[in-house]
Amino acid sequence: MTAATFLRIGTRRAQLVGCLLLVALVVSGCSGGGQGAYIIRPHYFWDSLLSPSPTIVNAIGLTLGISVVAQFIGVVLGVFAAMGKMARFVPFRIVANFYIWIFRGTPLLVQLSFLFFGLQTARVFMWPSVVFGPIDILPEILAGIVILGVNEGAYMAEIVRAGIMAVDPGQTEAAKSLGMTFRLTMTRIVLPQAARVIIPPLGNEFNNMLKTTSLLSALSIFELYTTFSNLSAVSFAPFELFGACAIWYLLLTTLWGFVQSWIERKFAKGTVGSQTQGPGWRMRLMGRTSFDADARSLGGH
Amino acid sequence: MTAPSISTNLLGAIGGVPRPETDVVVDAREVNKWFGRLHVLKDVSLQVKLQETVVIIGPSGSGKTTFIRCLNHLEKIQGGRIFVNGHLIGYRESAGGTKLVEDKEKNIARQRQEIGMVFQRFNLFPHMTALENIVEAPIHVRGTSRDEAMATGRALLERVGLAAKEDSYPNQLSGGQQQRIAIARALAMKPALMLFDEPTSALDPEMIGEVLEVMKELAREGMTMIVVSHEMGFAREVANRVVMMDDGVVVEEGTPDQMFSAPTQDRTKAFLSKIL
Repeated sequence: MTAATFLRIGTRRAQLVGCLLLVALVVSGCSGGGQGAYIIRPHYFWDSLLSPSPTIVNAIGLTLGISVVAQFIGVVLGVFAAMGKMARFVPFRIVANFYIWIFRGTPLLVQLSFLFFGLQTARVFMWPSVVFGPIDILPEILAGIVILGVNEGAYMAEIVRAGIMAVDPGQTEAAKSLGMTFRLTMTRIVLPQAARVIIPPLGNEFNNMLKTTSLLSALSIFELYTTFSNLSAVSFAPFELFGACAIWYLLLTTLWGFVQSWIERKFAKGTVGSQTQGPGWRMRLMGRTSFDADARSLGGH
Repeated sequence: MTAPSISTNLLGAIGGVPRPETDVVVDAREVNKWFGRLHVLKDVSLQVKLQETVVIIGPSGSGKTTFIRCLNHLEKIQGGRIFVNGHLIGYRESAGGTKLVEDKEKNIARQRQEIGMVFQRFNLFPHMTALENIVEAPIHVRGTSRDEAMATGRALLERVGLAAKEDSYPNQLSGGQQQRIAIARALAMKPALMLFDEPTSALDPEMIGEVLEVMKELAREGMTMIVVSHEMGFAREVANRVVMMDDGVVVEEGTPDQMFSAPTQDRTKAFLSKIL
């Protein structure tokens, strides 16, 4: 297979197919040789993917739920922190900068441990359990969501700030000249336009969030990673099960990629060349960029 | 390109000439402004009476744009007083009237509702259609009902000759069309005063006419207007007064006839000889 044909298939699709093939081949066919070697039991892999147990389904739901709520908290905090950072009133700037400094400057794992175990053990703050309609949210899950969200807010702040700064100052002036207050100017004029700039990196952040939830295993939350980790400990099939676990994450992030490009197209309203804003999901899957580059290079020779 | 049909009853769309509370709509007294160490406005005073159209001319850097931006407090001032409609703009007096303290943001916003502004670069909201641009402030600032705002908005669009473009986004419109919508957007707030900051400077030559046509019509119908412009034809035709600014001071002011045929100041003569 020449490099050109490889590129023509599309790098991303090739990667995906390649990985799947590799995992499938290894899991279904081989087994280690020799006495006392690891015996691969493919059904652990296939079952957890094709007929996932309720435990796994719950874990996926939990991972998704935590990610969505934590990201939402992150966006809201990010907007406030960004505006705090840009405020004329100095104390706002100090608070915003301090918050961003702390949460970007320390590892999330340390934040989780300190703010959950640390505070609980020292009885500084006891995380409550919250009943939310039919769902009973355990203290560790609440803590997990909040800490992930607060951590995310510190990163979102910079993204939101860049988005706000990308909006033409003339827009604010026009809004002001029409008698809009700061709040109206922000919510009706500036943030909707900043959203266009914010959404692509926000999509990245959410992709990260989906995977970062795995750190919640530190709080013994049965999200995707912890669940598979436990399953593999019980069955002693870490090869098959962590492989399957990876596939589940890949599925979530891939699906999110489709949703993201759909959202990006929706928000491109009123921009020059709305239709070309962000590649469509089909283009993404086909890895169009590399195809184009390849086509160009072929045309050049 | 066919000439757009500008209606002869522009202000009819907003219920006639908005009635300000005083006869002197703008009263700027000895306004001073610095950008850092640069003294850009030096004791600038200007009075504009009800239904007057005043055109401010002058070389670039003379402070004319900065001055009209001070009138709705887009720029802070460091000295003097600006009254629009009898209200002190942007500041409240404290310590017995000797010191100026910047007013609360809400009060400034309320004052700006009475002052329409049209910008050189249109500044339409790109994420909204033409009609949405126009009804945005009436609905969210004035609290006008959606139906009423839409009706007024459509009437305004029709009268600036753009009834067919209500669903277009700004990036689908020409500069001249955008500027006419920007004028309609400002008018929708029924302002007592309209400020125009070089409204035709960013336009292709063939689009200047359609925007000036709307502005002339507004002036004829009795809108109180201050226009910063290099369009001497417009000034000659509709201005009640022309004000010449240079280097942060008002050099000379008078009727268009006086100013264009018999300017008294050398700086005015020099400027006009270059531009006419």
